[in-house]
Amino acid sequence: MLSEIAFYGALETGLIYGLVAFGIYLSFRVLDFPDLTVDGSFPLGAAVAAVLILEGWNPWVATGFAALAGMAAGAVTAILNVKLNILNLLASILTMIALYSVNLRIMGRPNIALLSEETVLTPWYSLGLEFHQVPVILFLIVVAVSLVLLWRFMKSETGLAMRATGSNARMARAQGIATGGMIILGVALSNGLVGLAGALFAQSQGAADVTMGVGVIVIGLASLIGGEAVLTPSTVMRALLACVIGAIIYRLAIAFALNADVLGLQAQDLNLITAVLVTLAIVLPGVRTNLTNRFSRKKA
Amino acid sequence: MISATDLRLTFGKGTPLENPALRGMSLTVNQGEFVTVIGSNGAGKSTFLNALSGEVMVDSGQIIVDNQDVTRLPTHKRASRVARVFQDPLAGTCENLSIEENLALAIKRGQRRGLTTAVKSKYLPQFRDSLATLKLGLENRLGDKMGLLSGGQRQAVSLLMASLTPSSILLLDEHTAALDPKTANFVLELTQKIIEEQKLTALMVTHSMKQALEVGSRTVMLHQGQVVFDIAGKDREGLEVKDLLGLFEKQRGLEVDDDSLLLG
Repeated sequence: MLSEIAFYGALETGLIYGLVAFGIYLSFRVLDFPDLTVDGSFPLGAAVAAVLILEGWNPWVATGFAALAGMAAGAVTAILNVKLNILNLLASILTMIALYSVNLRIMGRPNIALLSEETVLTPWYSLGLEFHQVPVILFLIVVAVSLVLLWRFMKSETGLAMRATGSNARMARAQGIATGGMIILGVALSNGLVGLAGALFAQSQGAADVTMGVGVIVIGLASLIGGEAVLTPSTVMRALLACVIGAIIYRLAIAFALNADVLGLQAQDLNLITAVLVTLAIVLPGVRTNLTNRFSRKKA
Repeated sequence: MISATDLRLTFGKGTPLENPALRGMSLTVNQGEFVTVIGSNGAGKSTFLNALSGEVMVDSGQIIVDNQDVTRLPTHKRASRVARVFQDPLAGTCENLSIEENLALAIKRGQRRGLTTAVKSKYLPQFRDSLATLKLGLENRLGDKMGLLSGGQRQAVSLLMASLTPSSILLLDEHTAALDPKTANFVLELTQKIIEEQKLTALMVTHSMKQALEVGSRTVMLHQGQVVFDIAGKDREGLEVKDLLGLFEKQRGLEVDDDSLLLG
């Protein structure tokens, strides 16, 4: 089955993708804004963090700037949409394409190794924990803090205004909410989380690479939809928990599929497996709703 | 007080589909007046309301609310003065937010929103009290999703939300038209009660001449983007639908060909 190292490895990347899923929840679910910027803001976060760490900056400060860079990228997408009236999906593709060049400029080369550098993980290795558990524990803390902060935000006056913007923009305007501003803030926050995820990913994998963002949107969506299939997102808290659970399940499923020799799958089959998992995750909740409907109709 | 002067607006200017919706519309509504607005399809009723709320910008003319010129302000900047209930019962509320969250959005209409909790416990007694006046049992369902409510219930809550904070004018855009007759009656009675109790200034668009005469204190008829007549007080008392039609024909010298105005 799954070796211990493969299991912890799946948890580690699962937690990082939990942050990505938070971001995608904000854009796709809360704001109803299909945002593909994440494919660019994930490597952007990695690039900013890697370059600053190489320059000798404190790794947490570097990670903070990575999140800010992600927010700036998200703001660009949202401004293209809100102020210049470019279709949201197209606006995000434009930013994503532009970020490929920006990321190469920031790094100055296609990839940067961080293996011998001090990262956010370094101090934790001297605590006497098992080597492969360290990133899991640290990222669990980061994800938990982000979850609580996001949850508090969504329950605040501004957060509620953001949810109303995505749910019924006309009503939101009639209540005095500047919907354009809410979209800019929300998409920026979303990509800030993804930039943070990219920075942590680069530090845990020991490298930043300009191509590391390819498919982040699909993995994030897979996590989001898969999580929602497991845990019905009837409240904000459940929706956020579903993001993390979905991301971890997704990574475990991938690790399991690649480790199960009986299936005969290899690393190059990853994208195929992802597509199958996303399809299942989209179809399964529908099947379940059908079943419950039938059940409750019988009761009534 | 709200006053609109010589509003003009043409949709699709310079295209084959050019449609002049407002052609010099002027109307002044005084404090405490409840004005009903009638007119056939395409008379400019909805466009007029959209222009007042800021959803559409007029090409020319001036809109003044409480001595402030709001002609060029977007919807969200007028929201503190202008409250609104839409025709579509689903449009005035957010279905995937709870009842208390919808009310919490409305209690801050047009005000600054910060980072404190939106649904504050100090609001809850007020929410419960106002929901209780609806007699729909909603005061015990504060945490329920809005989407679970029927169209009539949602329209009743929309009305509450519009009257939760003071406004200079309440705009009602055929807000009973999409409901079944019994529910429509309930919402209309509720509207009259709220407007009377809170002494609101209101502008109600309706498709029914009968309703236009029975409700409110003044009736205005629109035709082709202009006010064709405006009656209030003694002139309006005892007036019936056929008198209204007669007035219209005298004013315009033409026959009313829109049957829907006579029905209902």
